Amino acid sequence: MADLLAIQDLEVRLFDRSGVVLAVRDVSLTIGEGEVVALVGESGCGKSVTALAVLRLLPTDARISGSVNFAGRDLLKLPLKDLRAVRGRDIAMVFQEPMTSLNPSFTIGNQIGEVLRLHRGLRGKAARDRAAELLSLVRIGAPEERLRSFPHQLSGGMRQRAMIAMALACDPKLLILDEPTTALDVTTQAQILDIVRDLQKRLGMSILLITHDLGVVADLADRVAVMYAGNKVEDAEVHRLFAAPRHPYTAGLLRALPSRGRRAGDAQQRLVEIPGLVPVLREPLHACAFAPRCPRNTDRCAKEPPELSPCEEGHTVACFHPEPLAAAGPAR
Amino acid sequence: MSEPVLEVENLRMEFRAPRSAGGKRVQAVRNVSLTVGEGEILGLVGETGSGKTTVGKCVVRLLHPTAGRISFLGRDITTMPAQTLRPIRSQIQMVFQDPYSSLDPRMTVQQIVQEPLAAHGRSSRQDARALVSRTVERVGLSSHVLDRYPNELSGGQRQRVGLARALVLEPRLLIADEPVSALDVSVRAGILNLLVDLQRTMGFSCLFITHDLSVAEFLCDRVAVMYLGEIVEVGTRDEVFGDARHPYTRSLLGAAPLPDPLLQRTRERVIMPGEPPSALDPPSGCSLNPRCPLADERCSREAPKSTRVSPSGHLARCHRVEEQLDLEVSHA
Amino acid sequence: MSIATMPGTEPTVVLAQPSRQGWWRRFRRRPPAVIGLAGVVIVVLVAVFAPFLAHYSPIVSQFGHVLEGPFSPGHILGTDELGRDELSRLIYGSQATLEVGVLATLLAMAVAIPIGIAAGYYRGAMDMIAMRITDVVLAFPFLLIAVGLAAIFGPSLQNVILALGIAQLPGSVRIARAEAMALREQDFVQAAIVTGVKDRVILFRHLFPNMLSPLLVQASVSIPAAILGSALLSYLGLGVQPPTPSWGNMLASAQTYLYNDPWIAIFPGVAIFLTTLSFNLLGDGLRDLFDPSMR
Repeated sequence: MADLLAIQDLEVRLFDRSGVVLAVRDVSLTIGEGEVVALVGESGCGKSVTALAVLRLLPTDARISGSVNFAGRDLLKLPLKDLRAVRGRDIAMVFQEPMTSLNPSFTIGNQIGEVLRLHRGLRGKAARDRAAELLSLVRIGAPEERLRSFPHQLSGGMRQRAMIAMALACDPKLLILDEPTTALDVTTQAQILDIVRDLQKRLGMSILLITHDLGVVADLADRVAVMYAGNKVEDAEVHRLFAAPRHPYTAGLLRALPSRGRRAGDAQQRLVEIPGLVPVLREPLHACAFAPRCPRNTDRCAKEPPELSPCEEGHTVACFHPEPLAAAGPAR
Repeated sequence: MSEPVLEVENLRMEFRAPRSAGGKRVQAVRNVSLTVGEGEILGLVGETGSGKTTVGKCVVRLLHPTAGRISFLGRDITTMPAQTLRPIRSQIQMVFQDPYSSLDPRMTVQQIVQEPLAAHGRSSRQDARALVSRTVERVGLSSHVLDRYPNELSGGQRQRVGLARALVLEPRLLIADEPVSALDVSVRAGILNLLVDLQRTMGFSCLFITHDLSVAEFLCDRVAVMYLGEIVEVGTRDEVFGDARHPYTRSLLGAAPLPDPLLQRTRERVIMPGEPPSALDPPSGCSLNPRCPLADERCSREAPKSTRVSPSGHLARCHRVEEQLDLEVSHA
Repeated sequence: MSIATMPGTEPTVVLAQPSRQGWWRRFRRRPPAVIGLAGVVIVVLVAVFAPFLAHYSPIVSQFGHVLEGPFSPGHILGTDELGRDELSRLIYGSQATLEVGVLATLLAMAVAIPIGIAAGYYRGAMDMIAMRITDVVLAFPFLLIAVGLAAIFGPSLQNVILALGIAQLPGSVRIARAEAMALREQDFVQAAIVTGVKDRVILFRHLFPNMLSPLLVQASVSIPAAILGSALLSYLGLGVQPPTPSWGNMLASAQTYLYNDPWIAIFPGVAIFLTTLSFNLLGDGLRDLFDPSMR
């Protein structure tokens, strides 16, 4: 499978009132054609920043280094004019908050039409038809009428679908979904995931899915990259990751989930906590960032940073003491 | 069976919608009856708009119920005047969802946890400090936090402080309004474990409000599922999670993605279309009927009554369930 | 040791710098705010130490030195129409000006805050009454109130303060009310209610301290408004009566000499301008300081 997107040694420094934050440190990630890759981690791990870096949507004072190769070109080095042609057309993004991502003063039809006009030169009836077609693609009923609706007239789930429709307007090769269902109710979430899964199969686009929800990952992803404190700590095919997570952080996350069948009453079924907090790194760290919270840490972990290395076919992990295969696995 | 700690009968809570939305009467809670027994954790599960938070607020008398009866330890507190209610308040405490707004930013942890003691005249200086210290340690924080302000603590730590404040008076009943929803997964596990431990040692009853089914299954002895202001199903944990009868409960259980790719992608479930209707304009008959795969003409005409599914108190509010049981009875 | 058996403890990690200590540093970073603070401090010091700073009496006329221009020997800012040293009058004038500005604002806030808090917290009847009172006050033009008071009780500094205080009531009531309404819905206030804390305690311990910031900002903006108002009233002859100087009445008496000897109007005018500007800059700085999004 050819690589559609190849992020190589990405490093992002952001600035807040207290100084520099090493939001993303040395992250490399590839997404193949038609592949769904999930970037997973808790808040502050750098997953959203990575996604925003791909389209250069970070604040102007952010310092980015590394390369983001898309269809043979390095997006980080592209002149703005060329980047704009990529944004919305070849790579589209859907954000977390459907409330604030849509312009409240314009109708849905108008906003989808804007994308079509910009990238495809469609106007008038042709644009309207295509927009209605997109809305029905995301299973919005009575699409021609819906085009005339304003965002506030739509429910949260519908707004998110409209956002997806907008993103698909120009048949992007890569769709970036940033926490697409976090702000939605469970039943709505299921619908959106169903739609995304279906669309991905039909249209064959690649997806970069940013989420903290392991359930969403299990539903959609082909491959999973786990991030911690700006680093990628594990990268594996989805079934492998859930069945046999090798990085202690990944294992910890899975054990911390109250999943079906676990009861507070049963002693062995206690949720496993990961004590401590995700660190905010301001200086380069010559150690493993997870070590202070890791039950498997040794002296070595505090002295050198572990590199990503393959532990099995198609499965890399950055750890000196990965979880053993036998004992690993989510408590069922 | 001993007297229930909390008994809610036919609770109804109406609000007036703002003029911009038509100024109509909105029924956030339509007809809710539930009981919480001694030392029992009852989960109140629902999506946004279900009315679950409103029920919680009525129980603690943050709101004045429009109709219905709330009894605590046998005493009717629905319209009890503030003066008489105050001593009873020490026995019904609440934890809130948002760790950032639930603590007064201008008070230290010491002051926050001590306030309930002062409010009920239980603080002679010495004893109060000791009790506060003990309670703070009980929730897993070191006494170093006593002099800290909330903005110096993490979300998880703040929730623990909130718990300490709620439990320092050793209440009989704790209302927990989505206490872990705003926390990261690894932090959530800690708080949930803590709740389990505290409930076991202190023996309080708990009304646990949440939208997250897996948390409800992990924590609760009994579960009530709400939809548009009504309880549609209630039963023990095993009954609701193992033998759900109501179509809405079933769809909820099916909708939450499982963190297990194999199971998640092969499971059979029906994804309910549409979204929860607005309480401003509820459907006629059974409020689920526009979305329900089992709905028929009767459902849009007639609101279903609560059907007793099992002698142990498993109830479901659905015509199909009622008809099915009638069928079983007539065949017996 | 496996994580599973570790008790649910959280290490005490101090996340952010306590915002208490950081405020001076943050304030320092904004030059306009620091300038404003400096200006206010200067005016206050001048008013407090006036007797030590002024070389001449502000009220004794010296007919031998009438209308001398700036940089005349012994009178760096010149003299006025009665030969009084302009600088000394300016220095003493700050007293009346500040006194009015600060007292009027304090009076207004002392009355408005309790009303506003009660209105915002209890809503219902209290809110209606409070709003109707402010409506009544707003219905009267501020000058009318001032002139009316002067007509009934005679022109004096106290009446100016009273009139200005009344004029400021509605603004402060609105702010206190809005803050109380917003705070009341915050979880920590709801928690206090659920805990059974008495209303009185909630208002004093939870609402008021969390309102201080916007109220402080309001004060730093009201004071210059009051100063301008008092200047206006002085100019009209209400308020401090000559020969006691206030920047307003200095402006008034300078009217006739504007063409030939403008400095006796310019200096008090500049003084009013600089003082008002300082308070405004300070107010902006305080508002930015307290705004959590700028932390």
